[in-house]
Amino acid sequence: MTEPLSRIPTGMRYYFGQEARLRRTVEQTGMTVFDGWSYEEITTPTVDYYSLFEHGMGRAEAHRAFRFTDNDGSLLALRPDVTSAAARAAATLFADRERPLRLCYAAPVFRQQPQSHAEWRRESTQIGCELIGANTSVADLEVLMIVSEFLRRLNLEGDYAITLNDVGIFNGVAERLGLNPTLREEMRQLIDVRNAADLERFLKPYTSAGEGQAFAQLVQLSGKRETLELARSVISNEQSREAIDRLESLWNVVDSLGLTDCFEIDLGDVARLDYYTGLTFKIYVKGAGYRVGSGGRYDGLTASFGKAEPAVGFVVDLDALTDVLRLRSMDASTLALPAGSPVLRASVADEKPFGESPVNPSDVFEEALQKRAQDERVSLKLAR
Amino acid sequence: MPELTIAVAKGRLQDEALALLAAAGAGVSSQDLSSRRLAVEDESGRYRFIFVKPGDVPVYVEHGIADCGVVGRDVLLESGTDLLQPLTLEIGRCRIVVAARTGVNLNELGMLRVATKYPHIAATHFGARGRPVEIIELSGSVELAPGLGLADCIVDLVQSGRTLRENGLKEIEVIDESTGRLVVNRASYQLKAKAIAALISNLRSEI
Repeated sequence: MTEPLSRIPTGMRYYFGQEARLRRTVEQTGMTVFDGWSYEEITTPTVDYYSLFEHGMGRAEAHRAFRFTDNDGSLLALRPDVTSAAARAAATLFADRERPLRLCYAAPVFRQQPQSHAEWRRESTQIGCELIGANTSVADLEVLMIVSEFLRRLNLEGDYAITLNDVGIFNGVAERLGLNPTLREEMRQLIDVRNAADLERFLKPYTSAGEGQAFAQLVQLSGKRETLELARSVISNEQSREAIDRLESLWNVVDSLGLTDCFEIDLGDVARLDYYTGLTFKIYVKGAGYRVGSGGRYDGLTASFGKAEPAVGFVVDLDALTDVLRLRSMDASTLALPAGSPVLRASVADEKPFGESPVNPSDVFEEALQKRAQDERVSLKLAR
Repeated sequence: MPELTIAVAKGRLQDEALALLAAAGAGVSSQDLSSRRLAVEDESGRYRFIFVKPGDVPVYVEHGIADCGVVGRDVLLESGTDLLQPLTLEIGRCRIVVAARTGVNLNELGMLRVATKYPHIAATHFGARGRPVEIIELSGSVELAPGLGLADCIVDLVQSGRTLRENGLKEIEVIDESTGRLVVNRASYQLKAKAIAALISNLRSEI
């Protein structure tokens, strides 16, 4: 045992000085925005049962956690995500609370095995929101608008892209082709790395050459509304069609709010299909070589804790975001929301019967975004 | 300011990769090519090239320091990277093989000693077949190892097979084929979508 005491484990780091201040400001900006959309902060245990994460994230993801045993031999983990525990709380502790439930958090998560060279951190801070108990497209839009406001408040306007997809598109195609789980995963991987040539080869036994080629081209594209039109001309099964319709109705609202510059439709985003059940999205910011956040709809999650209900949410990597802002030589004082200042001028809850069918979602969000621009708190009423 | 930074693997693939890129409208001047600079711009000023060791291409691209890269599939298989691979370039075609001394029957051995520059590929290959192996990682001249008794077989990249034959080895099994790949950073793919789509389509029409 002659290891020097100065050593620090791989993937761990210090924050101090300017950088620590900047990071704290980014966190406060996020939490203030979330509060502005009526999200309530939750802190979950740092150490929890490993089985929670196995159910909450799926085996492959949970496997990356630091694991150790409790006195009685049961397997524990340093939390690799916050969503699992938030979903468990929703199904148990908050089972009788009025829906929708809006929860937000900023907390470190730990992963023993990083996913790529670029993701070297083994401790990173996740800042995110969960909207539980509403399955309308208005709920999906609400979380997208929160992400987008958060990034704009960090002066990243014009420098970020949120890519949208719906898992129903892939699932519908895989089902129509009658793929077994192994082949399904093979197709998913080919789409995930955008390998159009091998995907075309893979599809050959299942479909006409023209159709295969068109599908392979489709998943390589990322674009705006025209991507959906193209998708309709290539994909005809019902499940995929419904997913395309869902994306289009989201896009219509994004369009009417004048936000199409920061959104993309990316049908090639097929990560974690076993986890998500509808909308999925990824968040990219110029200056970061890796995505800074992701989210989507996970209607299957809370069922494993005894209460099945729809849910949608996202996480942003606070440390990755801080890196980007630091490289742009932004310091805490240049941010729109200075640390510690009372930001919410009004904390009135503007409750409107949103999400009920006669109301046009575009009008709803136009009004909500206006109120947010004046730092007023909004609380959308959502149909279940 | 160039639109895209492209990392090119030095060595085996470099000349073919640069010829292909030049045909696709991203040509480096002969003056820049003959210089020893490791970062040069193409003649249009739209692309910046950096020349790095093959194994470092995925590192630069994953971090987003380079938006794209040209590298052999062998390198990608070995390092298990998280990158987009939109295009297979028909350059640098070769095989990743298991080779042993002529006359040796590997199936008679309870454990294999495998010398290789590709420890990950070798371990995955033999692991899938349930064969116990000791991986001996070398950084070059792998073909020497069986003859000198360091290993029972090797896992290596083979183009013509001449080096194997001249060192008394024969190919036993092909693990995989490898050609050059265009790899792209996931964030760049979204944030520089137009420039990357243009590069992909220009390259595709030259393959």
